[in-house]
Amino acid sequence: MDQLLQGIFDGVALGARYSLIVLGFVVIYRATGIINFAQGGFLLIGAFLTYNFSQTWGWNFYLSLLLSMIATAIIAILIQLLLLHRSLKEISGGVFCLISWSVFFYNGNSHLTSLILGIFVGASVYFLVKKFENRFGVSQSNELPIFGSIIVTIGILFVIKQVVPSIWGFAEKNMGDPWGFKIVKVGDLVFTHAKLWTIALTAIALSGFFLVNRFTKIGIAMRAAHFDHEAAFAQGISLKVVFATAFGIAGAVAALAGTATGVGIAQLTPNMDLIVFLAFPAMILGGFDSPGGAVIGGIIVGIIQNLTKVYQPEWDLDWLGVGFDRVMVFIVMLIILMIRPYGLFGTKEVHRV
Amino acid sequence: MANPSKELKVRYQQDLMIWRTPLLRAGLLTLLFLYVLSPIIWESFIVTKFLDDIGLTMTTLNYAGVFAVGAIGLNLLTGYTGQVSLGHSVFVGAGAYFTAYAGSTWELPFIVWLPGSLLVGFLIGFIVGPLALRLRGNYLVVVTLGLVFLGDHIFRNWKSVTGGSTGVSVTGASLKVGPIDFRNFEVFGHEFEKSQSFFWLIWGFVGLTALLVKNIVRTRPGRALQAVRDRDIAAEIIGVDLLHYKTMAFAISSSIAALAGALFGVLQSFISPIDFGLLVAIQYIAIIILGGMGTIHGSIIGALVVGSLPRLVENISRDYDLPGVSGDQGGIGGMLSISSLNHIIYGMLIAAFLLLEPRGIAGIWIRIKTYFKTWPFSY
Repeated sequence: MDQLLQGIFDGVALGARYSLIVLGFVVIYRATGIINFAQGGFLLIGAFLTYNFSQTWGWNFYLSLLLSMIATAIIAILIQLLLLHRSLKEISGGVFCLISWSVFFYNGNSHLTSLILGIFVGASVYFLVKKFENRFGVSQSNELPIFGSIIVTIGILFVIKQVVPSIWGFAEKNMGDPWGFKIVKVGDLVFTHAKLWTIALTAIALSGFFLVNRFTKIGIAMRAAHFDHEAAFAQGISLKVVFATAFGIAGAVAALAGTATGVGIAQLTPNMDLIVFLAFPAMILGGFDSPGGAVIGGIIVGIIQNLTKVYQPEWDLDWLGVGFDRVMVFIVMLIILMIRPYGLFGTKEVHRV
Repeated sequence: MANPSKELKVRYQQDLMIWRTPLLRAGLLTLLFLYVLSPIIWESFIVTKFLDDIGLTMTTLNYAGVFAVGAIGLNLLTGYTGQVSLGHSVFVGAGAYFTAYAGSTWELPFIVWLPGSLLVGFLIGFIVGPLALRLRGNYLVVVTLGLVFLGDHIFRNWKSVTGGSTGVSVTGASLKVGPIDFRNFEVFGHEFEKSQSFFWLIWGFVGLTALLVKNIVRTRPGRALQAVRDRDIAAEIIGVDLLHYKTMAFAISSSIAALAGALFGVLQSFISPIDFGLLVAIQYIAIIILGGMGTIHGSIIGALVVGSLPRLVENISRDYDLPGVSGDQGGIGGMLSISSLNHIIYGMLIAAFLLLEPRGIAGIWIRIKTYFKTWPFSY
């Protein structure tokens, strides 16, 4: 019995992280209709920023966490504005500005010189593309198909996954969290502080999101945009603001999830973003467009995964192999999808012919 | 009276023709010529020697050919039938592991294990296919993504067949077809190198696969598949059996993928689960996007680009000192390693292509063709 309860508690702590990750997916999906694979990249950036603030610069851990959430949100918004929204001239201008800045900087110029040169190159590319885009008919393609946007986010993930270790290195790092190995004992059950804090922070973040979504103007705008883009636009809701907010929220919760994943001894690695792929079943279980479903799905998946891990040796299922708990989650996802194709709480799509 | 436009088709047979114009027929001849001659002249002819020097060696071309086979299969499923699959690498892996096992443990001859691996791929696709009937769009993407993890787990844990995480050797698989052995290919007493003979083997299969898929998509089943892609409910109403066509698309696509896996296995001669992970699945998607969804020549061009890009980047960054890029080991002092640079260029290429030209390289060609056809008018 104790083992079961302990397994469930650990599962909830694991599931809390999944809930945060999935919340990021769901918010972006509701607003824009794309699955944002770059969520794993946001998670990496957030975790490493927290590490940088708290360890390298020695700031207070909670302050670093807050700052890294804000910083990651800004990065996410920038990525959305630059790459997923704007037209060709702005993208190419921005990209060339960044590239030439890095080229000049690494060739030994000072920050200021390389920045000015970078802006100069970016601006010239901007005007060049502006001059030529109508002639070749590329300007029409600024509205990407949904599948295209998904692949673009995969491309962004590739880039972030390489940039992060090039800044902070490949080695495993200690997050420097204030919780360490402290535990609370209730009977025979062991609650570590880190897990309790993960659950608490998740609960705070989630309730904050639900309050915003329910009561503020931007929350109502986001729900309206989810219902119908064009109708919301006709009512004077700025879709740009809604999209940017969605990415900002996703970035912030990803930073929190990344920090929660990275706490402990040598847990912070550049491969941490794999947890995002394990969170996919949670999203499916809850349904793509249901924030409440995200939370419940995440916790269910966490509990299933952890209980599988606990009971696999006990029930002589070792022949299923190491790491079967992760696969078990996908199997459960498949079974549930066969019964309910839109997840437990997802909206059933209506198909017109 | 002037002649009718060459574009005008008056008979169904004309619509079906693959090599419609004299120009295309000349292109076919050139391709056949290149196929036969390339391996022989690759390292001596001046143009190809230059390509060889910058990293486009015979071996690189062979890997690109393997990618092309798999990508043509994926294009049948994703480009023509509209079922996005992120799990293509599992099918590829199934073919490769079957080849390794059948070749070394059962010691089957080439003409038996090759159809065998096709059959294995077909069966797996046949099991997975019906899932697409119940799920669509993003849900299908995530489920096929789950397949990658399931496949990876099986590859790592079914140790008696797959050798676990370390992998398994494929050198036992024989490549003898009658008197010809592709491992040491011999014509009139002249022995060719491994990479040369593999070029003939692999690109021969590229041609066969392209022909097979082209024949599927230009006839009745192909039109049914494209109807499913455009609007599956409407297709069902006009009499397309969704269960049949979606399952068959999955099965045929995955059996082609298994063929690619078998070729990959014999080419690389050692396979491990890392060769069939998520990265490879995304690579296949990237190929068909770069090349052009719903075009067969697009998949081949895309495979050539994606297959040769890493080598080119590696060579260029070795020969010229690129700013901000260190040697082999990265992650020190804000420096990127060459492999990181590869991934970055790769990711940016995918993103840029989709933003600029959603129809891929094939789309650029169409745009150029329209530009010249309608010249001097802009539309």
